[in-house]
Amino acid sequence: MPYHLFKCSECIPERKEHAVIKGPGETLADALPLGYLNTIPGTISERGCAYCGAKHVIGTPMKDVIHISHGPVGCTYDTWQTKRYISDNDNFQIKYTFATDMKEKHIVFGAEKMLKQNIIEAFTAMPHIKHMTIYQTCASALIGDDINAVAQEVMEEMPDVDIFVCNSPGFGGPSQSGGHHKINIAWINQKVGTFEPKITSDYVINYVGEYNIQGDQVVMDDYFKRMGIQVLSTFTGNGGYDDLRAMHRAHLNVLECARSAEYICNELRKRYGTPRLDIDGFGFGPLGASLRKVALFFGIEDRAKQIIAEETARWKPELDWYAARLEGKKVCLWPGGSKLWHWAHVIHDEMKVDVVSVYTKFGHQGDMEKGIARCEEGALAIDDPNELEGLEAMDMVQPDIIFTGKRPGEVAKKVRVPYLNAHAYHNGPWKGWEGWVRFARDVYNAVYSPILELAKRDISKDEIPTDQGFVTRRMLSDVNLPEEVRNSTELRPYTGEFDNLACYKDKTYPLMEKRPAPGAAA
Amino acid sequence: MTCELMERPRAGVINPIFTCQPAGAQFVSIGIKDCIGIVHGGQGCVMFVRLIFSQHFKESFELASSSVHEDGAVFGACGRVEQAVDVLLMRYPHVKVVPIISTCSTEVIGDDIDGVVTKLNNGLLKEKYPGREVHLIPIHTPSFVGSMITGYDVAMRDIVAYFAKKTAPSGKLNVFTGWVNPGDVTAIKHLLAAMGIEATVLFEIEAFDAPMMPSGNHVAHGETTIADIEGTANAVGTMALSRYEGGKAAAYLEKEFGLPTIIGPTPIGIRNTDTFLAHLRTLTGKPIPETLVRERGVAIDALTDLTHMFFADKRVAIYGNPDLVIGLAEFCIDLEMQPALLLLGDDNTNYQKDPRIKALKENVDWDMEIVTNADFWELEDRVKNKGLKLDLILGHSKGRFISIDYNIPMVRVGFPTYDRAGMFRHPVVGYAGAIWLAEQMANALFADMEYKHVREWSLNMW
Repeated sequence: MPYHLFKCSECIPERKEHAVIKGPGETLADALPLGYLNTIPGTISERGCAYCGAKHVIGTPMKDVIHISHGPVGCTYDTWQTKRYISDNDNFQIKYTFATDMKEKHIVFGAEKMLKQNIIEAFTAMPHIKHMTIYQTCASALIGDDINAVAQEVMEEMPDVDIFVCNSPGFGGPSQSGGHHKINIAWINQKVGTFEPKITSDYVINYVGEYNIQGDQVVMDDYFKRMGIQVLSTFTGNGGYDDLRAMHRAHLNVLECARSAEYICNELRKRYGTPRLDIDGFGFGPLGASLRKVALFFGIEDRAKQIIAEETARWKPELDWYAARLEGKKVCLWPGGSKLWHWAHVIHDEMKVDVVSVYTKFGHQGDMEKGIARCEEGALAIDDPNELEGLEAMDMVQPDIIFTGKRPGEVAKKVRVPYLNAHAYHNGPWKGWEGWVRFARDVYNAVYSPILELAKRDISKDEIPTDQGFVTRRMLSDVNLPEEVRNSTELRPYTGEFDNLACYKDKTYPLMEKRPAPGAAA
Repeated sequence: MTCELMERPRAGVINPIFTCQPAGAQFVSIGIKDCIGIVHGGQGCVMFVRLIFSQHFKESFELASSSVHEDGAVFGACGRVEQAVDVLLMRYPHVKVVPIISTCSTEVIGDDIDGVVTKLNNGLLKEKYPGREVHLIPIHTPSFVGSMITGYDVAMRDIVAYFAKKTAPSGKLNVFTGWVNPGDVTAIKHLLAAMGIEATVLFEIEAFDAPMMPSGNHVAHGETTIADIEGTANAVGTMALSRYEGGKAAAYLEKEFGLPTIIGPTPIGIRNTDTFLAHLRTLTGKPIPETLVRERGVAIDALTDLTHMFFADKRVAIYGNPDLVIGLAEFCIDLEMQPALLLLGDDNTNYQKDPRIKALKENVDWDMEIVTNADFWELEDRVKNKGLKLDLILGHSKGRFISIDYNIPMVRVGFPTYDRAGMFRHPVVGYAGAIWLAEQMANALFADMEYKHVREWSLNMW
């Protein structure tokens, strides 16, 4: 597995060990890109900061919390309304964001007094919200404000409120990943074990590392409930503050994003003996296997099998309709961290696309290890890519589509590579059986866009077919399909609703009896 | 029945209207050709600003970070700037201009970016890049001072001051647009062309609306050249469209080179566009041509169809960049509307002295409030808890949930407007902008009437 040095990075040879090509017959032992090292300044890296990793990625999806950043207004403004983590609390966490508005005088004389004033003002403005998270920023960290002390003082004066303090300034670590770690540890240190939940089932889990992007958590929550499992808390998408304080009472931690939230699972195991079970909510196979694993733990595997059978029967013909049309399409799988390995193998197995490149902005070597193991031979793997390397890579691997963030997506657009938003999704949720079909549908719609076809035409040179008023997606996708696939009566394109979350809203679940469960810690 | 000017009474911000200074400096940076700014601070200060530019323009812009980590925060991070400059210059051989933009963290730790620039000029640039034209320009934009507005103003002044060089008179007029959209620049250039005025427009950002080409070009970038900025010293005068975004640069040129200078008002609406043309005539001696009389007539005709039938007495709240907000308020008043609340998102004390605000205070005959250092809660709290009745909101996308949750129609205007398609493409300035704005407002009101079934039948015939 040879290291790959991009032409554009020949002048910074230390970049060489950050990219490898997965050669034939080679193993990870031959080479693994370096990861989670300090960024080389001036490269135009895509990394964010530890503040955003803590506040924006993990903190803010908590739905019943005043999220206040102690610093100048920019950190708050810039991270506000740039994500799609929804909640059943009228999206309070998306609609409202708070900043202490630190000014020069506060830098000089300290900002603890005005922080206290801020906290009281915020609770006064939002009388129905009794929880708060205070996020430190670069500025408040450097002037040394004691945020914990201020929070403690307010909690003593206002007994009906509870405040969590997250000290994760932007400069803390090479990327947002440092912030993931800090907020995980801060939460378990400060809050877990301070609230006693109501246990309503014999099988109780925390669902960890799930951020409810476009409703992923709602979909997964439904499967757990259909198995009679109580989801005590979700860390943190659609998660309630008090529920998360009660994480210590679960029998099992079911971990989705191991990049951003394995830390708290490991601590829960250490401190409370709660086992950790890693799962994948993406893709028919991995999702089915994941539900079975969870069910096996509790000795209720038949319940998982029933869901798998029902969902597969409902959605398989639709997934396969897309897979038949996406076969061999080349994908750059360029997300932030965990989707690199969540998706690498299963989009190949189930959508039939080929992963020709993987990258991670803030992942560690372990993420790369999993991602490379799961992607196609010949794929180019890049750690902490920068603008020029991304372009060079696209030129090199000639992808049909790229899964990445919004802004890099705009770069890809200009070289006429369509993008899907790997962080926020296009038309998600993408978890669950139906979600996976929605993902396939989004890929198909991007790859076979008639406008994309037109974008490649140079009217000054190319022949212009003058007898064509339109082209449908199927005129593009079905042209080389065998007759039996093209006209299959088994397969069909997606039949779900634009808003597929509405059906979960007032859904009720039958009570399920306990059965002997040898593996359960209950 | 008064117009009151007040400051946000609370210490904190609930839903900010503005971001901080470095964002304004970054907006200036992307307007200059062969320029990539380095933001000296944590990586988020760049990553998120690039994100919001891409949300607004649906384009990606190049900006670099010095990527300050813990060690830099503790021991000083000037070395990170040195490395960033070198890496950037090596990998982007076309780059000539590199603003070094400070942030709160690097100002607090006291990194001497001016000293770094001197060191690099005398060391790295001479030794490693001899013969290459490179301009390193320190820009001090601590996030705890001012806002994105002052960041733009300061960065533009510092860059103009760095380059402006008196040589031979160019006969051109400087036109400083302020923080606008590509559509605005097109509209301004159209008016200048109609007047037969040769101008240096700072900044040339029409190319922010970049095409997808068969050749696969990939970078949207501004087109103002070093020569353009150098030449500002040789102009016949300066017309700054915005008092708070570019006013400092205009004042600098006036003081340093004695250029005849007019600052504002922003040509939003008919009256302010008339004033703009009158100012152009004053500065250049060129007459206002018949074509513009006609163009103006088309706009007046369009507004007459709407104003007293639909707009009269409609109550509107406006927030965003100060010159934009004030210009919109003035235009709305000409359209017989009643601006009820203006929100200016920073604590600039000059707002009190702004003649346009003084005029509002003296002449408005309905209840109106102007809040400085404002946040969105100043609007939402009034609507939710204090009985403020509004017919329309004008402002950028960050305030969208107030419109959505309280069922108040809203026209997206300003920066950023990511939740509506293509807003950056349309002007709010000039006669074209007056038509666009008025018709957007009317159509928003019409859609609202239909959605709520309120007098929707009246649109059958008008």
